[in-house]
Amino acid sequence: MNYDDSLWLIFLLIGLATTLPRASFILLGSRVALPPFVQRALRYAPAAALAAIVVPDVVLVAGSLQPFNPKLAAAVAAVAVALRWRNPWLPFIAGMAVLLAQRFGLGW
Amino acid sequence: MQASFREGAREGFRVALPQSIGLIPWALVTGVAMVTAGFTPLQAMGMNVIVFAGVAQLGTLPLIVAGAPPWLIITTALVLNLRFLIFSAAIARGFRDIGAGVRWLSSYLLIDGVFAACLEKMLTEEDRHWRLGYYLAPSVWSWLLWQIFALTGVLAAGAIPRSWSIEFMATIALIVILLPMAKFRPMLVAAATGGSLAVLLHGMPLRLGVIVAIIGGIGAGFLAEHWQTKRAPA
Repeated sequence: MNYDDSLWLIFLLIGLATTLPRASFILLGSRVALPPFVQRALRYAPAAALAAIVVPDVVLVAGSLQPFNPKLAAAVAAVAVALRWRNPWLPFIAGMAVLLAQRFGLGW
Repeated sequence: MQASFREGAREGFRVALPQSIGLIPWALVTGVAMVTAGFTPLQAMGMNVIVFAGVAQLGTLPLIVAGAPPWLIITTALVLNLRFLIFSAAIARGFRDIGAGVRWLSSYLLIDGVFAACLEKMLTEEDRHWRLGYYLAPSVWSWLLWQIFALTGVLAAGAIPRSWSIEFMATIALIVILLPMAKFRPMLVAAATGGSLAVLLHGMPLRLGVIVAIIGGIGAGFLAEHWQTKRAPA
């Protein structure tokens, strides 16, 4: 796939969307504070967003719900390994091994 | 350079060194993911330097690949980075008596690991040179690790055949970031709601379903926390 110059504009905008929240209170100083209920609600944003990105990726195949697919099996393996062991590399090894075993071993 | 700055730098580096090693697999995977998304090495490292936030980089990649409209990509990045608003608010007092230019640099460098390791001393130490060294040394070190190992991932990915589907490592990375969050019950509710809504609404035009799912997930988590604290008063 090829991307044009607009990709750099997207990078800059994502960069702003990253640096501005980081800079907000560090630049304003501690004179301004977030209301407690906003702080509590904001804590849920990353979990909700990550799940909204990941879950469709592993249960949808070509736009339709397909619970039995190689990606979901690989994801389940990665989750199981991550819950059981603290090693940061193991989920990647287990997930990719399950995915590739299905691709090449079983021809799915 | 002040002696107390160097002293703070040594101390901060020592405190944050163990967790900084955890950045290595993430940087590698992020590098690989950007190349398998179709970026040239220059584009990949450009994104890596400009954005410098693994979650935002990995989280926006699927949207960029799918050709989602820019506003959706930016909104998603913003939502993934909302936690930094809280970090920024928490650590702000640590930057008292420090100039605006250095505050901008410090903001760009702010990451989860250094924040967690350095917050306490940043708030209590009186010497501003010491405080700044204590924050900047591990931050710059983490930045270097991130760039070096992302570049390693970028170069290695180019040598791996497409049929190995190593882009799936990005999905695994996001799952592993999500898991520890979901141990807290309301957080699990937020993730489950966000995930299911995103699947149910995937047919919505302009991938609007993602945004609706995120808002729904935040609302569900907030309500779950509310009910939990009401049922079990501390």
